[in-house]
Amino acid sequence: MAFAGVSKWFGDLVAVSEVSFELWPGVTALLGPNGAGKSTVLRLLAGLTPPSRGQVRVLGRDPRGDVEITRQIGLAPQQEAMFDRLTAYDFVRLAAVLHHLDAPDDATRRAIDLVELGPAASRRIGTFSKGMRQRVKLAQAIVHDPHLVVLDEPLTGLDPRQRLSMIELVARLGQGGRCVIVSSHVLEEVERFGSRILVIAQGRLAAEGDFHAIRNLMDDRPRRFAVRVERANEVGAALVRWGLAVGVQLEGPDRLIVQTREPAAFRRWIAPLTRDLGCRLREVAPLDEDLESVFRYLVEGR
Amino acid sequence: MTTPTSPTAGSNPAARSRGRTGTGGELYGLFLSILGTRGRIVGLGLLSLISVLVGVVFRAQLDPADQLESWTKFANTFGLSLVAPVVALMFASAALGGPAEDGTLVYLWLRPVSRLRLALAAYAASLTYVAPLVVIPLGVGALLSGAERGAVTGTVASATIAVMTYSGIFLWLGLRTRRSLAWGLAYILIWEGFVAMAGKSAARLAIRAYTRSLLADSSGVDLRLATITPAYAAIVPLVVAVVAVLLTARRLRTTEVT
Amino acid sequence: MTTTGPADAHIADRGYRRYTGPRLGPRAAKRALYVASLQRALGLRRKARYKVIPILVAVMAYLPAAVFVGVSALVPQEVGRNLQVDYGNYYGFITAAIVLFVAATVPDVMCTDRRTGMLGLYLAAPLTRDGYLAAKSAAVTTVLAVVTLGPPLLLLIGYSLVEAGPAWPVDGVVLVVRMIAAGLTVALWYTALAMAVCCLTDRRGLASAGIALGTLGSAAVVSALVDGAKLSPWLRAADLFNLPFELVRRIYGQPAEFPDLATVPLFLAALAWVVAAAVLVRTTYQRLQVTK
Repeated sequence: MAFAGVSKWFGDLVAVSEVSFELWPGVTALLGPNGAGKSTVLRLLAGLTPPSRGQVRVLGRDPRGDVEITRQIGLAPQQEAMFDRLTAYDFVRLAAVLHHLDAPDDATRRAIDLVELGPAASRRIGTFSKGMRQRVKLAQAIVHDPHLVVLDEPLTGLDPRQRLSMIELVARLGQGGRCVIVSSHVLEEVERFGSRILVIAQGRLAAEGDFHAIRNLMDDRPRRFAVRVERANEVGAALVRWGLAVGVQLEGPDRLIVQTREPAAFRRWIAPLTRDLGCRLREVAPLDEDLESVFRYLVEGR
Repeated sequence: MTTPTSPTAGSNPAARSRGRTGTGGELYGLFLSILGTRGRIVGLGLLSLISVLVGVVFRAQLDPADQLESWTKFANTFGLSLVAPVVALMFASAALGGPAEDGTLVYLWLRPVSRLRLALAAYAASLTYVAPLVVIPLGVGALLSGAERGAVTGTVASATIAVMTYSGIFLWLGLRTRRSLAWGLAYILIWEGFVAMAGKSAARLAIRAYTRSLLADSSGVDLRLATITPAYAAIVPLVVAVVAVLLTARRLRTTEVT
Repeated sequence: MTTTGPADAHIADRGYRRYTGPRLGPRAAKRALYVASLQRALGLRRKARYKVIPILVAVMAYLPAAVFVGVSALVPQEVGRNLQVDYGNYYGFITAAIVLFVAATVPDVMCTDRRTGMLGLYLAAPLTRDGYLAAKSAAVTTVLAVVTLGPPLLLLIGYSLVEAGPAWPVDGVVLVVRMIAAGLTVALWYTALAMAVCCLTDRRGLASAGIALGTLGSAAVVSALVDGAKLSPWLRAADLFNLPFELVRRIYGQPAEFPDLATVPLFLAALAWVVAAAVLVRTTYQRLQVTK
């Protein structure tokens, strides 16, 4: 499964921009704030929409090229609408039949047991609560045992106990050699799905890899700030002398790029320092705010 | 219900069938259930029943000599020009247009089912409602009106062809635009209404001209601008229906699904 | 990020602020709703695709008038007289445009508010349900007058400019009065009819279909019963499509299409329809549960 330089725009709105990644067996979490482009990435992956530029590959094939590839894709979309007049059993069975399974009833029963829908399966979907709808959506996505399982926000609308069992279920799905990709905007839930995460912010891929490794990288990596100040060379030298910067790059007589390992201290002291030097400070702007803000949002919930 | 088993539901490749039997039937049944809302059936059923009433009135009020002409004109202005296209619009545009709009189309689209099969199932389900709702009341009305045999067969044949063609066109339209009812009405009123009355050549661009030619030919009553020979009048609309279903299948392939 | 010294520090009060300006009251609320509804129906300040149908209808309604005037101006007077159209008969050329306009715009103006819950917001303003309906019906009538009153006026102005018009001032003024009466009659008729259909459903498409079916369907059935089955000509009063245009002919004093029917009862029949529609709309809105 791969994305290669994929962009998607709707009119003037760029939803996904130059995203590339590969998926490996196991659970991958797609993280990002609301409106970051998560759903668009998942729709592209399932072939529901063609990329404006770039290539999407599922098992080496274009997911929109040939309907046969849909045998390997299971999608639980975000929207709640289903065929409300069908019972949950008939809805899942419809998926089994449309996938040409040999024993659609057996597969249906297995999938329904797996999501623990139980006796509610004989009720019409129109009578279901959000949590039950989520489970029906999951059941129809796995009834044909696809290689790629795409789950768009499967935890919304679930109560804490249901969340736990859904998280366990997703983790188990990932152990059978499948690629499972789950989107969410809540980090603590995603942490429990498994290891790999993709962070997407403003339509761009912001980080990719093991969650803890990314977090460590974030903490270790020097943060960069653009500073506009009079007599930039003197200020730069003072910052290094004070230990507030590990690197300074002079961009002009009044422009400076500062690398620091202690962003909080840097923020705290830059203003008093320039005042002592008698230089007028015009602007301090973080350069990595994109990723940082997404992460702060995800990690600290603000 | 058994206890939860391993997550590898049906993972045995041998368990997968290559056969295709059953998917068409399942889809057809699903579309029937999507389209079969009570309001739609009852409302349009009442509309269609008007033709039965008019047939009864014609028999009671008119000399046999007038029954033929009065019925044929009524079948043309009410049945072929209004009831057939509007009933077809209400059902066919909702068959795929409804699921596309509320986001349930994905549950049919993301399956290894040929797009033509999807389109055909939706088309067949629409016709299953539209044909009885339009053709039967008109046919019964024709019988009751006392009009001659030719008018009865003409009514049934032209109405059948009308619903087959309009259902195809509006099946495609439902997938093409979200406001399919408004555009469909504009098509019925402006295109079919204006163009079909504009002149002999222009009328050939409207389905209505073909169906009313068929009706005029079987009943022997002169209708305005009904000049197309029966063979063409039957074949051209059916070709349009086939093309519309094929276009629908193509649209399904290229559409963006939500 | 800008830095400022401690002396400049302040916390902006971003909290709730009271509105201290003048309160304009129900009249202004009605006027605002009237203007907003007009704009919505005509596609003003909306995307291009909402302008398609208004522009199309305007072309369909005004083009024949322009053509008639052009013909009058170009051909010799004696021939031109024969090619002139009667003001009342002009409606015959634009009935399709009128019905299409009614079916396309009125449901959009009436049904959308209920479907989206906007009605609840309107009623939270100093608007009563009756005030809401008054503003809406005024807007709908105004919009419809664009196609029912505008084209004959254009015809009159055009004919007057090419010396083919009435003798001014007396004949001209009488004609203008008749024109306004006729245009408003048609506009009011379709306002009542369309609003009655719209109050039965909050789905625009269904309402559009209902309007088209109600008008054209009743015309086809009544014609079959009266022209075909020779039933009582008074059934014409149920012909929702042709009735207003027959009234127009009577207003202009032109030969009637349905001479069996006396003018006064015909007007009373139309009035009964309009009143019935108004009562239906009003009771429906009074009983409506507004949840959002």
